[in-house]
Amino acid sequence: MPDLGRLLREKNIIFVTLALALVFYLISPRFLSLDNMSAISRQIVPIGLIALGQFFVVVSGNIDLSLGMGSVLWAIVLGVFFGLTGGVAVGIIAVIVFSLAVGFFNGVMVAKLKLPAFIVTLSMLFVAQGLSGLIIPRGQQIFLMGGFFKFVGAEKFMGLYWSFLFLVALYVLAYVVYNHTRWGAYVIAIGNSEENAKLAGINVDRVKIGIFMFSALCSGFAGIILSSRMGFVQPGLDGNGLLLDGIAAIIIGGVLILGGRGTIGGAFWGLLFIGVINNALNLLNVEDVWHQVFKGTVILAALGANYVLWQSRQVEAH
Amino acid sequence: MRLKTMTAGLALATAFGVGAALAADDTLDIVFINDGHVAPYHVAWLTGFEDAIAAYDKAFADVKVTGRWLSAEGSLEKMIQQTEVTINEKPDVMFVNAINVDAFEPLVAKAQAEGITWIAVHSPMESADYSFTLGDVVNGTNQGMAMCALSKGEPFQVGVMLGQAGNPSGEARREGILKGIATCDNVEVVAEQPADWDTVKAQTIAENWFTQYPDLDAISGVTDGYMYPSIAIATNSGKTDIQFYGYDGDIPIIQQMENGQVMADILLSGTREGWNFVQMAYRIHKGETPDKVYDFFTPLVLTEANHKIALEHGFPEDVQVYYVPEALEVAAKGYLEFGPDSVK
Amino acid sequence: MTSTASLGNGTKKKSLDGLMLRYLVLIGLIVIASVGFSMANDNFYSLVNIGILLRSIAVLFLVSMGMTFIILTGGIDLSIGSNVAFSGAVGVITLTTTGSATLGFITALLAGMFIGSINGFFIGRLKLSAFMVSLATYALARGLALVLFDANSINVDNITFLWLGGVSWGNMPVVIPFVALVFVVLSIVLYKTPFGRDVYAAGANVNTAFVLGRRPERTLVWVYVLSGALAGLSAIITVGRVSSGQPWAGLYLEFDAITAVILGGTSLFGGRGRLLGTILGVLLYGIIINGLVLTGTNPYLQSLIKGLILLGVVLLDTLTQRGKTA
Repeated sequence: MPDLGRLLREKNIIFVTLALALVFYLISPRFLSLDNMSAISRQIVPIGLIALGQFFVVVSGNIDLSLGMGSVLWAIVLGVFFGLTGGVAVGIIAVIVFSLAVGFFNGVMVAKLKLPAFIVTLSMLFVAQGLSGLIIPRGQQIFLMGGFFKFVGAEKFMGLYWSFLFLVALYVLAYVVYNHTRWGAYVIAIGNSEENAKLAGINVDRVKIGIFMFSALCSGFAGIILSSRMGFVQPGLDGNGLLLDGIAAIIIGGVLILGGRGTIGGAFWGLLFIGVINNALNLLNVEDVWHQVFKGTVILAALGANYVLWQSRQVEAH
Repeated sequence: MRLKTMTAGLALATAFGVGAALAADDTLDIVFINDGHVAPYHVAWLTGFEDAIAAYDKAFADVKVTGRWLSAEGSLEKMIQQTEVTINEKPDVMFVNAINVDAFEPLVAKAQAEGITWIAVHSPMESADYSFTLGDVVNGTNQGMAMCALSKGEPFQVGVMLGQAGNPSGEARREGILKGIATCDNVEVVAEQPADWDTVKAQTIAENWFTQYPDLDAISGVTDGYMYPSIAIATNSGKTDIQFYGYDGDIPIIQQMENGQVMADILLSGTREGWNFVQMAYRIHKGETPDKVYDFFTPLVLTEANHKIALEHGFPEDVQVYYVPEALEVAAKGYLEFGPDSVK
Repeated sequence: MTSTASLGNGTKKKSLDGLMLRYLVLIGLIVIASVGFSMANDNFYSLVNIGILLRSIAVLFLVSMGMTFIILTGGIDLSIGSNVAFSGAVGVITLTTTGSATLGFITALLAGMFIGSINGFFIGRLKLSAFMVSLATYALARGLALVLFDANSINVDNITFLWLGGVSWGNMPVVIPFVALVFVVLSIVLYKTPFGRDVYAAGANVNTAFVLGRRPERTLVWVYVLSGALAGLSAIITVGRVSSGQPWAGLYLEFDAITAVILGGTSLFGGRGRLLGTILGVLLYGIIINGLVLTGTNPYLQSLIKGLILLGVVLLDTLTQRGKTA
């Protein structure tokens, strides 16, 4: 009964997240206030975008380490174009075009030239870090004023932030693509076995390139939302923290890192879990030094748990 | 790149004749090793330093002034390596903003043996030739007392954003701010949290404070780096009546004073400090001897109207205050106070 | 069985020739880089500066040798830099509470091996992907270091503890002969012991190694423990160098190590490479980085250059290897 295992895994994380929320509520009643809920919904958007991009990469059996630092670079690209032209549209188009180009480059390196994904994306992480400081004249801040940034950063629709609605819409879209299109099936097939996928006549290279382009585009979106929320950009933002949170979200959400397994719903619940934890650690004034310990442990535990669940499913299946 | 420009400059100097060639005889080579290069303050600092080097070199025909700055990117290992390499190059003056002063004691001795003047930046060192400090506790106290006065005796809640745990500058500023706030009874510190000099973290903390303390009146911070994201989130959340008390004298923050969001700031200004370094190095090179521990002049910045209100509510008259237009001018133009003209 | 063995020997010999060529190229590049930087800067060649250079890359030598073992098995370890900070924390805190340098050394080593064994267990036993597991320990070890140090540095003045990383004989830092000693010991382990053969076998093909009766699982665990131990040693050296324990020690060290190892001709897909190449790789990379520091290159430009070096080397390797096999 493979479905049972999958269901159990998803239910686990839902249960754990809700239980945690209840505990935090008992400690600090403000936790469940409407204001705080909406604060969480806004804080998780950049992480959620990066997690979604990473989801497809990981399900296909790879990893993209450049997503976090990439989103910092994209925020700055937006700022630089906005600063130069005063136009938002040019900046957005630049971010979309450049991020797709970087994704294409990563994809070609991995799919066509068979370079290991983590090395390619690790070098891109450093390239992005370098560029983020080099493209701003003398490294100064650029302020982002105007209707668009206010809209993305702060406007609500029926009590929900537009940026959060955008995130949810993207997850719904990803759900449909992942579960109900041939492309989604290809991603899973490649993650299960690249050779079998090739034998089945799937154009593996093209799908892989597409995956990396999508993940880079997601980091582009994350950069746009990050910069709108901040109201200014500058080099030196913590991109690697975003990367870790994104990976933590999908692993907690039950994505098996060996590839081929994972659900969009699970990833979304993993994201909520990370959002609740980040917010609560903050509200409860937990010292910052503990955050990393906590995250490292949670990722390791989730890795182990996924492995055990997967093993037991293998046994059931036989 | 820099080497090329330097060689080009040398070639030019020779081309311009005997006078210029003689000028190259007296050289002043200044190296500034900083702990980082990312924070807005660092950027302004390093920019001011580079501009000042160029200005002094141009203004004084008898001395060839050169300089460069290095960033240790937060790593003590890297900073020690950079310092060792720099000592080996024998510059005239070294400014070192040490991540950990104790680790640099042996290097100070080595540098002095090579005839290099060692200037400890921000954290004083006994063995250094000079220590350039900021008076963080006094500045912080001024910020806290300004808050006391501007809250006019009414109940007032404030959240204080701190630096990285254990960072000496951050700790001194915190001590000062709390000391200043303690001079009145009506201001209550409802939260204190480190934001690690990180702007994204600062924004998350500010947003959480808004939900956790609905009656919050003000955010105080040990750096203006926290002010940008906090002001953005306050504006976006409709919390337009929150007051901000900053520290650093970043120009964009001082500019927000007239509209009433930012109430007070401390005028360090990285640009000013960069210019001051070069001026002091030049003075020392010319034989002047400043105090061994030299406190940089860092006034409190208020609007004229707020200063008047503050004085009415018990703010001490002897605290030196710059008003916004003056502060903006000196912050942007480091040469006004510390340029070649101030030495001539 | 016999045919497989002879086939294996044949390919090994061929790839060794390729490696020799690689080493000659590396030595040539090291000479060119040295000459280039010495022209740009008069002080580069001075004995003092060579001492500074060697001391500053001593730690990189050690962790890169550990990384060579790991990459030979086809794995990766992203946790090394954090592990240096964590083992430093454990060592320094033991030293300051007990006052015993010996206990400090031992606990620092054990702490490094502890993180290494977590990696080894998840990667070797559970067969989880190396980059994912070591990314988790990367966060975990750095977090633990921050907690132990309370995000603050701790000064150390115990002369014994500082000796290895801090003392020089003239212009020669004592740590350099120590690194040479470690190199000799690890070379013996890699080339003269069954464990060394298992490392190459695990990288060449995990399944074949299993069939041949070698236990790649256990080999993998020990390889990560070894890397952790070297991180522990590096922690001791780092503390000696900066006479204090630092929560942010070793930041991005893993990245430098990976670049140096690949530069030294070790294949990212495992099974091919030698420690000598890593030593040359560290030297070349160290000279470049030191040169960038010396000329005061913009730190952002340094990041960019580092990223491009890594990408360029991997790209070149893959293309030339593909050219040979085709």
